[in-house]
Amino acid sequence: MSDADVLLGIETSCDETAAAVVARGVDVRSSVVSSQVDLHARFGGVVPEIASRAHVELLGPVVAEALVESGVGGEDLDAVAATVGPGLVGSLLVGLAAAKALALVWGVPFVGVNHLEAHLYASFIDEPALEPPMVALLVSGGHTLLVAVDDHGRYRLLGSTIDDAAGEAFDKVARFLGLGYPGGPAIDRTALTGDPTAIDFPRAMLDQGYDFSFSGLKTAVVTHVRRHPDVATDDVAASFQQAVVDVLVAKTLRAARHAGVSRVCIGGGVAANSLLRERLLDACAGEGFECFLPSRSMCTDNAAMVAAAGWWRLKNDGPTGLDAGAQPNLRLPVA
Amino acid sequence: MGCDVLILGIETATAQVGCAIGAHEGVLTSFHAAKGRRHAETLVPAIDFIARQAGIELDEIGAVAVDVGPGLFTGLRVGVITAKAMATALRVPVIGVSSLDLLAFPARWTPRRIVSVVDAARGEVFYAFYRQVPGGVQRLSEHRVGRPEELCSEILATGEECLAVGDGALRYADALEKLIKVDIGDAGWAHPSAGSLVQLAHAQALREEFVNPWELTPVYLRKADAEINWQTRERSAATPAPPFLA
Ligand SMILES: [Zn+2]
Repeated sequence: MSDADVLLGIETSCDETAAAVVARGVDVRSSVVSSQVDLHARFGGVVPEIASRAHVELLGPVVAEALVESGVGGEDLDAVAATVGPGLVGSLLVGLAAAKALALVWGVPFVGVNHLEAHLYASFIDEPALEPPMVALLVSGGHTLLVAVDDHGRYRLLGSTIDDAAGEAFDKVARFLGLGYPGGPAIDRTALTGDPTAIDFPRAMLDQGYDFSFSGLKTAVVTHVRRHPDVATDDVAASFQQAVVDVLVAKTLRAARHAGVSRVCIGGGVAANSLLRERLLDACAGEGFECFLPSRSMCTDNAAMVAAAGWWRLKNDGPTGLDAGAQPNLRLPVA
Repeated sequence: MGCDVLILGIETATAQVGCAIGAHEGVLTSFHAAKGRRHAETLVPAIDFIARQAGIELDEIGAVAVDVGPGLFTGLRVGVITAKAMATALRVPVIGVSSLDLLAFPARWTPRRIVSVVDAARGEVFYAFYRQVPGGVQRLSEHRVGRPEELCSEILATGEECLAVGDGALRYADALEKLIKVDIGDAGWAHPSAGSLVQLAHAQALREEFVNPWELTPVYLRKADAEINWQTRERSAATPAPPFLA
């Protein structure tokens, strides 16, 4: 393998159909994301069958656009990477089957990628100087993980959510407040005009370990609004968001201190949240940690991160067999 | 494109996964597995295998044919996206063929009316009627999805002797066999075959009935459940809104 390795990445684990061309895991030649948000919005969440159908229609044009934008012909690629899990099985299968077919025709290796690992590698894309060891916070609609990254591919799970994922809490509270779907951007926007100190929502397990719990917070929001029907929605949104961010930042910093690392990074859709980015950056600066925040478009699901993680996996473990299947419940490979 | 075009056929509409490569002289190589690992795991290695065994380089393939359904949604998607990706990478056209047409094709020697029946799960079947014509079969009805009882009454309405083929016919054999004039095709005819696919596709290739790979889409015949529920709810104003945070 030469250093010029150029990978096509494909991501279809949930409701984004994405393809990207990335060289050496850091140099993004193109990154195309076609969001299905409009297809799912009226249902208030992702409908698996609708997502799978949309991936079949969208993937061809998305891959073609990624190739054209990158100026790289299919035959010039060195490997094809696709997310194999975790995610919606029917959606995963579409990207996986396409990637294997392309790899077979182009005669290049196929590499199956763990979606969670891909979110971690989004940090490396925007910051080529970033090197492990570090502590990473992965927060999305499906996951909330605090991970010590000892080296490439070597992870220790420090903590995770015991109930709802952080992004799930955003979606549920946004739906309850009538702010629409997806909830993350809606809360982020509404909170801008609200008072984050207006309501003192609980910060669950703030001082205990590295696990998270968000279902009590969601219940507290519902209870508060029912008791105070006249409460300003933007105050509720701002106070809720502040409670989530306080817990995420406090635990991440504590993990970094205990792990003895100097670097902190975040990934996942919730890592696009303005308050979380601002507070984490401040807190890291205050304690002398280097903080790596991938650009917002690299936090939400995309295929550049899949190509980046695929490049590292290919270098370390070699190609994945063409008989690979989808692994909807795949976990981060932790020590 | 001459009549010597090599066609790769991809068949994943039912529980069986298959692939074949054929030309004007017929099927050159094929693979089928009705049991075992799932479509996504098996299909691409199987294509690689049959091409190698037949000494065919993939870039010799002149068209990719695929069973577009109706059938099992997940299987269909694996086949259709694989066909799209391979055709795009090979820069060749695709040919979409109906699963029900494929099921009827091997039964083309029977003088009886043929009804292709694919198990649609959830107590329903996909079906269509055919009759023998020189060189093949002709479809006499639209593709339909319905309960086995609806299929039975349609068969009765034909007033003719019928041969029912497909995994749906086998699954609901008890109901169909109550109709005196119906025979059930045996298990050898339970699934559409990739061999029939390349044969039928070859005829379509000669007529240049190609599809742009991007426009190829599975024939679902049924909306996603959420959409069905949504429409039901929209129509019935009396239905209460869903409870919060269920
Ligand atoms: Zn994600």
